[in-house]
Amino acid sequence: MSKPRYLLELKGIVKRFGPIIALNNVDFHVGYSEVVGLVGDNGAGKSTLAKIIVGYHQPDEGKIIFEGREVRFRSPADARKLGIEIVYQDMALVPYMNVYRNLFLNREVYKKIGFIKVLDKKKMRELTKKLLEDIGIKRRDPEMIVGKMSGGERQSIAIARAVHFGAKLVILDEPTSALSIKESEKVLEYVLDLKKKGISSIVISHNIYHVYSVADRIVVLDHGVKVLDVPKDVATPEEIIDVIAHRLSPEEIQKRARG
Amino acid sequence: MAKSKVRLMITRYMELGVIISIIGMAVVFSYLNPRFLSVSALSSMVSLAAELGIMAIGVSFLMISGEFDLSVGSVFAAASILAAWLLNMGIPFIVAFIAALGLAACVGLANALITIKGKIPSFITTLGMMWFIRGVLLASTKGFPVRLEVNVPEMSVLSAPVLYDLRISGLWFLILAAIFHFILTSTPYGNWVQAVGGAPETARALGINVAKVKTINFVLSSVMAALAGLIALSRFKVVEPVAGMGLELEAIASSVIGGCSLAGGVGTVAGASLGAFLIGEIRVGLIMAGAPAYWYIGFVGVLLIVAGIINLRLSRRE
Repeated sequence: MSKPRYLLELKGIVKRFGPIIALNNVDFHVGYSEVVGLVGDNGAGKSTLAKIIVGYHQPDEGKIIFEGREVRFRSPADARKLGIEIVYQDMALVPYMNVYRNLFLNREVYKKIGFIKVLDKKKMRELTKKLLEDIGIKRRDPEMIVGKMSGGERQSIAIARAVHFGAKLVILDEPTSALSIKESEKVLEYVLDLKKKGISSIVISHNIYHVYSVADRIVVLDHGVKVLDVPKDVATPEEIIDVIAHRLSPEEIQKRARG
Repeated sequence: MAKSKVRLMITRYMELGVIISIIGMAVVFSYLNPRFLSVSALSSMVSLAAELGIMAIGVSFLMISGEFDLSVGSVFAAASILAAWLLNMGIPFIVAFIAALGLAACVGLANALITIKGKIPSFITTLGMMWFIRGVLLASTKGFPVRLEVNVPEMSVLSAPVLYDLRISGLWFLILAAIFHFILTSTPYGNWVQAVGGAPETARALGINVAKVKTINFVLSSVMAALAGLIALSRFKVVEPVAGMGLELEAIASSVIGGCSLAGGVGTVAGASLGAFLIGEIRVGLIMAGAPAYWYIGFVGVLLIVAGIINLRLSRRE
Protein backbone atom coordinates (compact mmCIF):
# COMPACT_ATOMS: atom_id res chain seq x y z
CA MET A 1 0.00 0.00 0.00
CA SER A 2 1.41 3.37 -0.95
CA LYS A 3 1.68 6.09 1.64
CA PRO A 4 -1.36 8.34 1.66
CA ARG A 5 -0.80 11.88 0.47
CA TYR A 6 -1.39 13.49 3.83
CA LEU A 7 -1.05 12.41 7.43
CA LEU A 8 -4.32 14.08 8.28
CA GLU A 9 -7.03 15.34 6.01
CA LEU A 10 -10.30 17.03 6.90
CA LYS A 11 -12.99 17.46 4.26
CA GLY A 12 -15.98 19.77 4.48
CA ILE A 13 -16.03 20.04 8.26
CA VAL A 14 -19.12 21.77 9.67
CA LYS A 15 -19.61 22.35 13.38
CA ARG A 16 -22.58 24.13 14.91
CA PHE A 17 -23.15 25.18 18.51
CA GLY A 18 -26.88 25.86 18.62
CA PRO A 19 -27.51 28.65 16.12
CA ILE A 20 -23.81 29.50 15.81
CA ILE A 21 -21.82 27.99 12.97
CA ALA A 22 -18.33 27.62 14.41
CA LEU A 23 -16.86 25.94 11.34
CA ASN A 24 -18.33 26.18 7.89
CA ASN A 25 -17.21 23.64 5.31
CA VAL A 26 -13.54 23.66 6.26
CA ASP A 27 -10.98 21.61 4.32
CA PHE A 28 -7.68 21.16 6.09
CA HIS A 29 -4.69 18.91 5.88
CA VAL A 30 -1.34 18.22 7.50
CA GLY A 31 1.51 16.53 5.64
CA TYR A 32 4.25 14.29 7.03
CA SER A 33 6.85 16.05 9.17
CA GLU A 34 5.03 19.26 8.46
CA VAL A 35 4.39 22.16 10.81
CA VAL A 36 1.14 23.97 10.06
CA GLY A 37 0.47 27.36 11.60
CA LEU A 38 -3.22 27.82 12.32
CA VAL A 39 -4.07 31.47 12.88
CA GLY A 40 -7.04 33.79 13.00
CA ASP A 41 -8.78 36.26 15.26
CA ASN A 42 -10.66 35.33 18.43
CA GLY A 43 -13.70 33.24 17.60
CA ALA A 44 -12.36 32.30 14.17
CA GLY A 45 -12.75 28.61 14.95
CA LYS A 46 -9.12 27.60 15.53
CA SER A 47 -9.72 25.89 18.84
CA THR A 48 -12.93 24.26 17.62
CA LEU A 49 -11.03 22.80 14.67
CA ALA A 50 -8.31 21.54 16.98
CA LYS A 51 -10.85 20.00 19.32
CA ILE A 52 -12.50 18.19 16.42
CA ILE A 53 -9.16 16.76 15.32
CA VAL A 54 -8.49 15.38 18.80
CA GLY A 55 -12.00 14.01 19.31
CA TYR A 56 -13.09 16.48 21.98
CA HIS A 57 -15.88 17.70 19.69
CA GLN A 58 -17.55 15.70 16.95
CA PRO A 59 -18.18 17.40 13.61
CA ASP A 60 -21.79 17.78 12.42
CA GLU A 61 -20.73 17.21 8.83
CA GLY A 62 -17.56 16.26 7.01
CA LYS A 63 -14.91 13.60 7.04
CA ILE A 64 -11.67 13.08 8.95
CA ILE A 65 -9.03 10.96 7.26
CA PHE A 66 -5.95 9.96 9.25
CA GLU A 67 -3.17 8.00 7.56
CA GLY A 68 -5.47 7.30 4.63
CA ARG A 69 -8.30 5.89 6.69
CA GLU A 70 -11.54 7.59 7.59
CA VAL A 71 -11.83 7.92 11.36
CA ARG A 72 -14.55 8.93 13.76
CA PHE A 73 -13.38 9.88 17.24
CA ARG A 74 -15.94 9.57 19.99
CA SER A 75 -13.55 10.89 22.62
CA PRO A 76 -10.00 12.20 23.00
CA ALA A 77 -9.02 8.68 24.06
CA ASP A 78 -9.78 7.42 20.53
CA ALA A 79 -7.59 10.07 18.94
CA ARG A 80 -4.78 9.47 21.42
CA LYS A 81 -4.78 5.79 20.55
CA LEU A 82 -3.99 6.65 16.93
CA GLY A 83 -1.23 9.08 17.91
CA ILE A 84 -2.94 12.47 17.88
CA GLU A 85 -2.11 14.57 20.92
CA ILE A 86 -2.99 18.10 21.92
CA VAL A 87 -1.07 20.34 24.28
CA TYR A 88 -3.33 23.05 25.65
CA GLN A 89 -1.95 26.34 26.87
CA ASP A 90 -2.83 25.96 30.50
CA MET A 91 -4.73 22.75 30.78
CA ALA A 92 -2.21 20.27 29.52
CA LEU A 93 -1.33 19.10 33.02
CA VAL A 94 -3.10 18.79 36.35
CA PRO A 95 -1.49 21.45 38.55
CA TYR A 96 -1.95 19.67 41.90
CA MET A 97 -0.40 16.43 40.75
CA ASN A 98 3.27 15.68 40.50
CA VAL A 99 5.27 15.28 37.33
CA TYR A 100 5.22 11.52 37.04
CA ARG A 101 1.51 11.22 37.78
CA ASN A 102 0.86 13.80 35.08
CA LEU A 103 3.15 12.23 32.52
CA PHE A 104 1.44 8.87 32.83
CA LEU A 105 -2.08 10.12 33.40
CA ASN A 106 -4.49 7.58 31.92
CA ARG A 107 -1.48 5.65 30.65
CA GLU A 108 -0.26 4.50 34.00
CA VAL A 109 2.45 1.90 34.25
CA TYR A 110 1.13 -0.80 36.53
CA LYS A 111 1.71 -4.30 37.76
CA LYS A 112 -1.12 -6.73 38.18
CA ILE A 113 -1.36 -8.23 41.63
CA GLY A 114 -4.24 -10.65 41.36
CA PHE A 115 -6.95 -8.64 39.66
CA ILE A 116 -5.75 -5.36 41.17
CA LYS A 117 -3.77 -2.92 39.09
CA VAL A 118 -1.03 -1.46 41.25
CA LEU A 119 0.92 1.54 40.00
CA ASP A 120 4.55 0.81 39.27
CA LYS A 121 5.73 4.06 40.81
CA LYS A 122 9.39 3.14 40.65
CA LYS A 123 9.24 2.55 36.91
CA MET A 124 7.25 5.75 36.34
CA ARG A 125 9.72 7.77 38.41
CA GLU A 126 12.66 6.35 36.46
CA LEU A 127 11.07 7.03 33.09
CA THR A 128 10.12 10.53 34.21
CA LYS A 129 13.64 11.29 35.34
CA LYS A 130 14.98 10.27 31.97
CA LEU A 131 12.39 12.30 30.14
CA LEU A 132 13.11 15.42 32.19
CA GLU A 133 16.80 14.98 31.47
CA ASP A 134 16.11 14.65 27.76
CA ILE A 135 14.27 17.95 27.63
CA GLY A 136 16.86 19.67 29.76
CA ILE A 137 14.86 20.51 32.84
CA LYS A 138 17.36 21.09 35.61
CA ARG A 139 15.12 20.31 38.56
CA ARG A 140 14.80 16.64 37.90
CA ASP A 141 12.49 15.61 40.68
CA PRO A 142 9.65 13.42 39.36
CA GLU A 143 7.71 14.12 42.58
CA MET A 144 7.65 17.87 41.93
CA ILE A 145 4.13 19.30 41.96
CA VAL A 146 3.46 20.59 38.45
CA GLY A 147 1.75 23.76 39.70
CA LYS A 148 5.07 24.88 41.15
CA MET A 149 6.90 24.66 37.83
CA SER A 150 7.29 27.42 35.27
CA GLY A 151 4.99 27.72 32.28
CA GLY A 152 7.80 26.78 29.91
CA GLU A 153 8.67 23.69 31.89
CA ARG A 154 5.03 22.63 31.88
CA GLN A 155 4.74 23.09 28.11
CA SER A 156 7.93 21.13 27.59
CA ILE A 157 6.69 18.31 29.80
CA ALA A 158 3.39 18.18 27.95
CA ILE A 159 5.16 18.04 24.58
CA ALA A 160 7.59 15.43 25.87
CA ARG A 161 4.65 13.36 27.06
CA ALA A 162 3.14 13.41 23.57
CA VAL A 163 6.42 12.33 22.01
CA HIS A 164 7.05 9.64 24.59
CA PHE A 165 3.74 8.00 23.81
CA GLY A 166 4.47 7.88 20.11
CA ALA A 167 2.44 10.80 18.82
CA LYS A 168 2.37 11.23 15.06
CA LEU A 169 0.61 14.58 15.19
CA VAL A 170 0.93 17.09 18.01
CA ILE A 171 -1.38 20.08 18.25
CA LEU A 172 -0.12 23.02 20.26
CA ASP A 173 -2.83 25.42 21.39
CA GLU A 174 -1.30 28.82 22.18
CA PRO A 175 1.98 27.25 23.28
CA THR A 176 3.73 30.54 23.98
CA SER A 177 1.00 32.90 25.15
CA ALA A 178 1.79 32.58 28.85
CA LEU A 179 5.56 32.33 28.51
CA SER A 180 8.52 34.64 28.81
CA ILE A 181 10.49 35.38 25.65
CA LYS A 182 13.25 32.98 26.60
CA GLU A 183 10.83 30.20 27.45
CA SER A 184 8.91 30.79 24.23
CA GLU A 185 12.07 30.31 22.23
CA LYS A 186 12.72 27.03 23.97
CA VAL A 187 9.22 25.72 23.33
CA LEU A 188 9.45 26.73 19.66
CA GLU A 189 12.71 24.82 19.46
CA TYR A 190 10.87 21.73 20.67
CA VAL A 191 8.44 22.14 17.81
CA LEU A 192 11.33 22.10 15.34
CA ASP A 193 12.70 19.05 17.17
CA LEU A 194 9.39 17.32 16.57
CA LYS A 195 9.73 17.97 12.87
CA LYS A 196 13.22 16.48 12.91
CA LYS A 197 11.82 13.39 14.57
CA GLY A 198 9.26 13.09 11.77
CA ILE A 199 6.34 14.20 13.93
CA SER A 200 3.90 16.65 12.38
CA SER A 201 2.42 19.49 14.32
CA ILE A 202 -0.23 22.18 14.21
CA VAL A 203 0.66 25.39 16.01
CA ILE A 204 -2.24 27.61 17.01
CA SER A 205 -1.21 31.06 18.15
CA HIS A 206 -2.08 34.71 18.23
CA ASN A 207 1.57 35.49 17.87
CA ILE A 208 2.10 35.37 14.11
CA TYR A 209 5.83 35.82 14.52
CA HIS A 210 6.11 32.76 16.71
CA VAL A 211 4.09 30.78 14.18
CA TYR A 212 6.29 32.03 11.37
CA SER A 213 9.45 30.95 13.09
CA VAL A 214 8.42 27.29 12.97
CA ALA A 215 5.64 26.73 10.43
CA ASP A 216 5.97 25.40 6.89
CA ARG A 217 2.49 26.45 5.92
CA ILE A 218 0.01 29.02 7.21
CA VAL A 219 -3.76 28.50 7.41
CA VAL A 220 -6.01 31.44 8.28
CA LEU A 221 -9.53 30.96 9.60
CA ASP A 222 -12.05 33.78 9.68
CA HIS A 223 -15.48 33.34 11.27
CA GLY A 224 -15.41 29.61 10.76
CA VAL A 225 -14.25 29.74 7.15
CA LYS A 226 -10.80 28.93 5.82
CA VAL A 227 -9.72 32.05 3.92
CA LEU A 228 -6.07 31.31 3.31
CA ASP A 229 -3.85 28.22 3.04
CA VAL A 230 -0.36 28.96 1.71
CA PRO A 231 3.29 28.00 2.16
CA LYS A 232 4.70 30.55 4.55
CA ASP A 233 7.29 31.99 2.13
CA VAL A 234 4.65 33.48 -0.18
CA ALA A 235 3.62 36.05 2.40
CA THR A 236 5.20 38.07 5.16
CA PRO A 237 3.97 37.88 8.75
CA GLU A 238 2.75 41.47 8.39
CA GLU A 239 0.61 40.51 5.42
CA ILE A 240 -0.93 37.64 7.35
CA ILE A 241 -1.76 40.04 10.18
CA ASP A 242 -3.37 42.35 7.63
CA VAL A 243 -5.46 39.46 6.30
CA ILE A 244 -6.64 38.59 9.80
CA ALA A 245 -7.50 42.24 10.44
CA HIS A 246 -9.37 42.47 7.10
CA ARG A 247 -6.98 45.08 5.73
CA LEU A 248 -5.80 42.82 2.92
CA SER A 249 -7.75 40.47 0.73
CA PRO A 250 -6.66 36.84 1.19
CA GLU A 251 -7.22 36.14 -2.53
CA GLU A 252 -4.21 38.29 -3.37
CA ILE A 253 -1.90 36.05 -1.40
CA GLN A 254 -3.61 32.82 -2.36
CA LYS A 255 -3.02 33.78 -6.02
CA ARG A 256 0.71 34.10 -5.37
CA ALA A 257 0.81 30.56 -4.05
CA ARG A 258 -0.84 29.24 -7.19
CA GLY A 259 1.32 31.30 -9.53
CA MET B 1 16.00 26.99 52.30
CA ALA B 2 15.19 24.86 55.30
CA LYS B 3 11.87 26.62 55.63
CA SER B 4 10.89 25.88 52.03
CA LYS B 5 11.92 22.27 52.53
CA VAL B 6 9.53 21.99 55.44
CA ARG B 7 6.84 23.57 53.31
CA LEU B 8 7.48 21.13 50.52
CA MET B 9 7.28 18.24 52.93
CA ILE B 10 3.97 19.44 54.29
CA THR B 11 2.51 19.96 50.84
CA ARG B 12 3.64 16.51 49.87
CA TYR B 13 2.45 14.83 53.01
CA MET B 14 -0.80 16.64 53.63
CA GLU B 15 -1.55 14.44 56.61
CA LEU B 16 1.27 16.07 58.57
CA GLY B 17 -0.90 18.97 59.74
CA VAL B 18 -3.57 16.74 61.20
CA ILE B 19 -0.99 14.43 62.79
CA ILE B 20 0.54 17.42 64.56
CA SER B 21 -2.94 18.43 65.78
CA ILE B 22 -3.60 14.91 67.06
CA ILE B 23 -0.33 14.92 69.00
CA GLY B 24 -0.94 18.46 70.28
CA MET B 25 -4.39 17.51 71.53
CA ALA B 26 -2.98 14.36 73.14
CA VAL B 27 -0.47 16.47 75.04
CA VAL B 28 -3.19 18.83 76.30
CA PHE B 29 -5.66 16.10 77.22
CA SER B 30 -3.09 13.87 78.92
CA TYR B 31 -2.06 16.86 81.00
CA LEU B 32 -5.68 17.27 82.06
CA ASN B 33 -6.15 13.54 82.66
CA PRO B 34 -3.13 11.19 82.67
CA ARG B 35 -5.33 8.20 81.84
CA PHE B 36 -5.87 9.75 78.40
CA LEU B 37 -2.71 8.08 77.13
CA SER B 38 -3.91 4.52 77.60
CA VAL B 39 -4.70 1.68 75.23
CA SER B 40 -8.22 1.73 76.54
CA ALA B 41 -8.72 5.43 75.76
CA LEU B 42 -7.12 5.01 72.35
CA SER B 43 -9.42 2.12 71.51
CA SER B 44 -12.50 4.05 72.49
CA MET B 45 -11.33 6.94 70.28
CA VAL B 46 -10.96 4.63 67.27
CA SER B 47 -14.36 3.08 67.97
CA LEU B 48 -16.01 6.47 68.41
CA ALA B 49 -14.38 7.74 65.25
CA ALA B 50 -15.36 4.63 63.26
CA GLU B 51 -18.80 5.65 62.01
CA LEU B 52 -17.76 9.20 61.19
CA GLY B 53 -14.47 7.93 59.76
CA ILE B 54 -16.10 5.42 57.41
CA MET B 55 -18.35 8.20 56.16
CA ALA B 56 -15.38 10.53 55.79
CA ILE B 57 -13.58 7.98 53.62
CA GLY B 58 -16.40 8.06 51.06
CA VAL B 59 -16.98 11.79 51.36
CA SER B 60 -13.29 12.61 50.92
CA PHE B 61 -12.93 10.29 47.95
CA LEU B 62 -15.81 12.09 46.26
CA MET B 63 -14.52 15.50 47.34
CA ILE B 64 -11.11 14.80 45.82
CA SER B 65 -12.88 14.09 42.53
CA GLY B 66 -14.48 17.52 42.83
CA GLU B 67 -17.98 16.84 44.17
CA PHE B 68 -19.87 17.14 47.45
CA ASP B 69 -22.24 14.80 49.18
CA LEU B 70 -24.47 16.41 51.79
CA SER B 71 -26.96 13.53 51.67
CA VAL B 72 -24.74 11.08 53.58
CA GLY B 73 -26.31 11.90 56.95
CA SER B 74 -29.77 11.09 55.61
CA VAL B 75 -28.49 7.95 53.86
CA PHE B 76 -26.94 6.91 57.19
CA ALA B 77 -30.44 7.00 58.76
CA ALA B 78 -32.31 5.61 55.73
CA ALA B 79 -30.07 2.56 55.44
CA SER B 80 -30.34 1.66 59.11
CA ILE B 81 -34.12 2.22 59.23
CA LEU B 82 -34.61 0.06 56.14
CA ALA B 83 -32.41 -2.65 57.65
CA ALA B 84 -34.28 -2.49 60.97
CA TRP B 85 -37.65 -2.86 59.21
CA LEU B 86 -36.46 -5.77 57.12
CA LEU B 87 -34.91 -7.52 60.13
CA ASN B 88 -38.10 -7.00 62.13
CA MET B 89 -39.97 -8.72 59.30
CA GLY B 90 -37.73 -11.73 59.84
CA ILE B 91 -35.64 -11.27 56.73
CA PRO B 92 -32.11 -12.70 57.07
CA PHE B 93 -29.36 -10.30 58.10
CA ILE B 94 -27.32 -10.67 54.92
CA VAL B 95 -30.33 -9.81 52.74
CA ALA B 96 -31.22 -6.78 54.87
CA PHE B 97 -27.59 -5.71 54.85
CA ILE B 98 -27.33 -5.90 51.06
CA ALA B 99 -30.71 -4.20 50.60
CA ALA B 100 -29.61 -1.28 52.78
CA LEU B 101 -26.36 -0.87 50.87
CA GLY B 102 -28.28 -1.27 47.61
CA LEU B 103 -30.66 1.52 48.57
CA ALA B 104 -27.64 3.72 49.29
CA ALA B 105 -26.08 2.82 45.95
CA CYS B 106 -29.30 3.92 44.23
CA VAL B 107 -29.22 7.24 46.08
CA GLY B 108 -25.60 7.71 45.04
CA LEU B 109 -26.49 6.90 41.45
CA ALA B 110 -29.36 9.38 41.54
CA ASN B 111 -27.06 12.07 42.97
CA ALA B 112 -24.59 11.39 40.17
CA LEU B 113 -27.16 11.40 37.37
CA ILE B 114 -28.84 14.59 38.57
CA THR B 115 -25.51 16.37 39.04
CA ILE B 116 -23.88 15.22 35.81
CA LYS B 117 -26.83 15.12 33.41
CA GLY B 118 -28.54 18.14 34.95
CA LYS B 119 -25.23 20.02 35.07
CA ILE B 120 -26.04 21.46 38.48
CA PRO B 121 -23.61 21.73 41.39
CA SER B 122 -23.56 18.62 43.59
CA PHE B 123 -23.95 20.93 46.58
CA ILE B 124 -27.51 21.65 45.39
CA THR B 125 -28.30 18.10 44.28
CA THR B 126 -27.23 16.51 47.53
CA LEU B 127 -28.71 19.24 49.73
CA GLY B 128 -32.02 18.53 48.05
CA MET B 129 -31.48 14.79 48.39
CA MET B 130 -30.60 15.24 52.07
CA TRP B 131 -33.94 16.94 52.79
CA PHE B 132 -35.93 14.67 50.51
CA ILE B 133 -34.72 11.48 52.22
CA ARG B 134 -35.10 13.02 55.67
CA GLY B 135 -38.65 14.03 54.82
CA VAL B 136 -39.49 10.52 53.64
CA LEU B 137 -38.01 9.05 56.84
CA LEU B 138 -39.89 11.42 59.12
CA ALA B 139 -43.15 10.86 57.27
CA SER B 140 -42.86 7.09 57.15
CA THR B 141 -41.86 6.75 60.82
CA LYS B 142 -44.16 9.58 61.93
CA GLY B 143 -41.15 10.81 63.82
CA PHE B 144 -40.88 7.76 66.10
CA PRO B 145 -37.67 5.79 66.51
CA VAL B 146 -37.46 2.39 64.85
CA ARG B 147 -36.46 -0.30 67.31
CA LEU B 148 -34.80 -3.54 66.38
CA GLU B 149 -37.21 -6.08 67.88
CA VAL B 150 -35.36 -9.22 66.97
CA ASN B 151 -32.06 -10.54 68.13
CA VAL B 152 -29.64 -10.64 65.20
CA PRO B 153 -26.43 -12.32 66.34
CA GLU B 154 -24.74 -11.85 62.95
CA MET B 155 -24.83 -8.13 63.50
CA SER B 156 -21.95 -8.44 65.89
CA VAL B 157 -19.60 -8.56 62.89
CA LEU B 158 -20.30 -4.86 62.55
CA SER B 159 -19.61 -3.57 66.01
CA ALA B 160 -18.95 -6.15 68.73
CA PRO B 161 -16.22 -5.24 71.20
CA VAL B 162 -13.00 -7.12 70.57
CA LEU B 163 -10.43 -5.83 73.00
CA TYR B 164 -10.61 -3.20 75.73
CA ASP B 165 -12.95 -0.58 74.29
CA LEU B 166 -12.04 -1.42 70.73
CA ARG B 167 -15.01 -2.50 68.66
CA ILE B 168 -14.88 -4.39 65.38
CA SER B 169 -16.23 -1.22 63.77
CA GLY B 170 -12.96 0.47 64.71
CA LEU B 171 -11.10 -2.28 62.89
CA TRP B 172 -13.39 -1.99 59.87
CA PHE B 173 -12.68 1.72 59.82
CA LEU B 174 -8.91 1.17 59.86
CA ILE B 175 -9.09 -1.56 57.19
CA LEU B 176 -11.34 0.49 54.89
CA ALA B 177 -9.16 3.58 55.38
CA ALA B 178 -6.09 1.55 54.39
CA ILE B 179 -7.81 0.04 51.35
CA PHE B 180 -9.14 3.31 50.01
CA HIS B 181 -5.95 5.17 50.76
CA PHE B 182 -4.16 2.56 48.71
CA ILE B 183 -6.67 2.85 45.86
CA LEU B 184 -6.26 6.63 45.79
CA THR B 185 -2.49 6.74 45.90
CA SER B 186 -1.40 3.53 44.23
CA THR B 187 -3.81 2.52 41.48
CA PRO B 188 -4.59 4.02 38.08
CA TYR B 189 -8.13 4.71 39.27
CA GLY B 190 -6.80 6.81 42.15
CA ASN B 191 -4.77 8.81 39.67
CA TRP B 192 -7.91 9.50 37.65
CA VAL B 193 -9.83 10.56 40.77
CA GLN B 194 -7.20 13.17 41.58
CA ALA B 195 -7.07 14.39 37.99
CA VAL B 196 -10.85 14.59 37.63
CA GLY B 197 -11.07 16.80 40.71
CA GLY B 198 -7.96 18.84 40.03
CA ALA B 199 -8.57 19.65 36.38
CA PRO B 200 -11.64 18.00 34.86
CA GLU B 201 -11.05 19.45 31.40
CA THR B 202 -7.50 18.16 31.34
CA ALA B 203 -8.65 14.76 32.52
CA ARG B 204 -11.23 14.64 29.76
CA ALA B 205 -8.73 15.78 27.16
CA LEU B 206 -6.47 12.91 28.20
CA GLY B 207 -9.30 10.47 27.63
CA ILE B 208 -10.45 9.90 31.22
CA ASN B 209 -14.20 9.28 31.52
CA VAL B 210 -14.92 12.06 34.00
CA ALA B 211 -18.62 11.26 34.40
CA LYS B 212 -17.88 7.61 35.14
CA VAL B 213 -15.29 8.39 37.79
CA LYS B 214 -17.62 10.85 39.50
CA THR B 215 -20.55 8.43 39.36
CA ILE B 216 -18.50 5.66 40.98
CA ASN B 217 -17.47 8.06 43.73
CA PHE B 218 -21.02 9.28 44.36
CA VAL B 219 -22.09 5.66 44.81
CA LEU B 220 -19.09 4.96 47.03
CA SER B 221 -19.84 7.93 49.26
CA SER B 222 -23.44 6.83 49.70
CA VAL B 223 -22.61 3.17 50.35
CA MET B 224 -20.01 4.07 52.96
CA ALA B 225 -22.60 6.24 54.73
CA ALA B 226 -25.01 3.29 54.73
CA LEU B 227 -22.34 1.04 56.19
CA ALA B 228 -21.77 3.58 58.97
CA GLY B 229 -25.52 3.65 59.59
CA LEU B 230 -25.67 -0.15 59.87
CA ILE B 231 -22.81 -0.08 62.36
CA ALA B 232 -24.73 2.45 64.44
CA LEU B 233 -27.83 0.24 64.26
CA SER B 234 -25.92 -2.79 65.47
CA ARG B 235 -24.55 -0.74 68.35
CA PHE B 236 -27.74 0.94 69.57
CA LYS B 237 -30.44 -1.48 68.24
CA VAL B 238 -32.61 1.57 67.62
CA VAL B 239 -32.62 4.34 64.98
CA GLU B 240 -34.12 7.77 65.33
CA PRO B 241 -35.49 9.19 62.08
CA VAL B 242 -33.27 12.20 62.76
CA ALA B 243 -30.16 10.01 63.17
CA GLY B 244 -27.07 11.20 61.34
CA MET B 245 -28.23 14.81 61.10
CA GLY B 246 -25.14 16.95 60.96
CA LEU B 247 -22.90 13.97 60.32
CA GLU B 248 -22.54 15.02 56.67
CA LEU B 249 -20.94 18.25 57.80
CA GLU B 250 -18.71 16.46 60.30
CA ALA B 251 -17.57 14.15 57.50
CA ILE B 252 -16.73 17.16 55.33
CA ALA B 253 -15.00 18.78 58.31
CA SER B 254 -12.93 15.60 58.85
CA SER B 255 -11.87 15.69 55.21
CA VAL B 256 -10.93 19.36 55.29
CA ILE B 257 -9.07 19.00 58.59
CA GLY B 258 -7.22 16.13 56.93
CA GLY B 259 -6.11 18.32 54.05
CA CYS B 260 -8.82 17.87 51.38
CA SER B 261 -9.65 20.93 49.32
CA LEU B 262 -13.29 21.88 48.88
CA ALA B 263 -12.40 22.67 45.28
CA GLY B 264 -11.29 19.11 44.62
CA GLY B 265 -8.07 17.59 43.38
CA VAL B 266 -6.25 17.78 46.69
CA GLY B 267 -6.39 15.48 49.69
CA THR B 268 -5.91 11.93 50.87
CA VAL B 269 -8.06 9.29 52.48
CA ALA B 270 -5.50 8.90 55.26
CA GLY B 271 -5.85 12.61 56.01
CA ALA B 272 -9.65 12.46 56.13
CA SER B 273 -9.54 9.37 58.35
CA LEU B 274 -7.09 11.06 60.70
CA GLY B 275 -9.40 14.07 60.68
CA ALA B 276 -12.25 11.84 61.84
CA PHE B 277 -9.95 10.31 64.44
CA LEU B 278 -9.04 13.79 65.69
CA ILE B 279 -12.71 14.57 66.15
CA GLY B 280 -13.11 11.29 68.09
CA GLU B 281 -10.05 12.17 70.15
CA ILE B 282 -11.50 15.54 71.08
CA ARG B 283 -14.78 13.90 72.09
CA VAL B 284 -13.08 11.37 74.36
CA GLY B 285 -10.59 13.95 75.64
CA LEU B 286 -13.25 16.42 76.68
CA ILE B 287 -15.23 13.71 78.47
CA MET B 288 -12.12 12.49 80.28
CA ALA B 289 -11.18 16.04 81.18
CA GLY B 290 -14.59 16.36 82.80
CA ALA B 291 -15.83 19.04 80.44
CA PRO B 292 -19.53 18.94 79.48
CA ALA B 293 -19.84 16.93 76.25
CA TYR B 294 -21.64 19.84 74.63
CA TRP B 295 -18.35 21.65 74.23
CA TYR B 296 -17.12 19.21 71.68
CA ILE B 297 -18.85 20.59 68.59
CA GLY B 298 -17.60 24.08 69.44
CA PHE B 299 -14.09 22.67 69.55
CA VAL B 300 -14.55 21.03 66.18
CA GLY B 301 -15.68 24.37 64.76
CA VAL B 302 -12.52 26.15 65.87
CA LEU B 303 -10.39 23.30 64.59
CA LEU B 304 -12.06 23.40 61.19
CA ILE B 305 -11.38 27.10 60.76
CA VAL B 306 -7.76 26.73 61.79
CA ALA B 307 -7.31 23.79 59.42
CA GLY B 308 -8.91 25.76 56.61
CA ILE B 309 -6.49 28.64 57.08
CA ILE B 310 -3.46 26.36 57.30
CA ASN B 311 -4.45 24.38 54.21
CA LEU B 312 -4.90 27.56 52.20
CA ARG B 313 -1.50 28.89 53.25
CA LEU B 314 0.16 25.63 52.34
CA SER B 315 -1.50 25.20 49.00
CA ARG B 316 -0.89 28.75 47.78
CA ARG B 317 1.31 28.51 44.74
CA GLU B 318 4.26 30.81 44.60
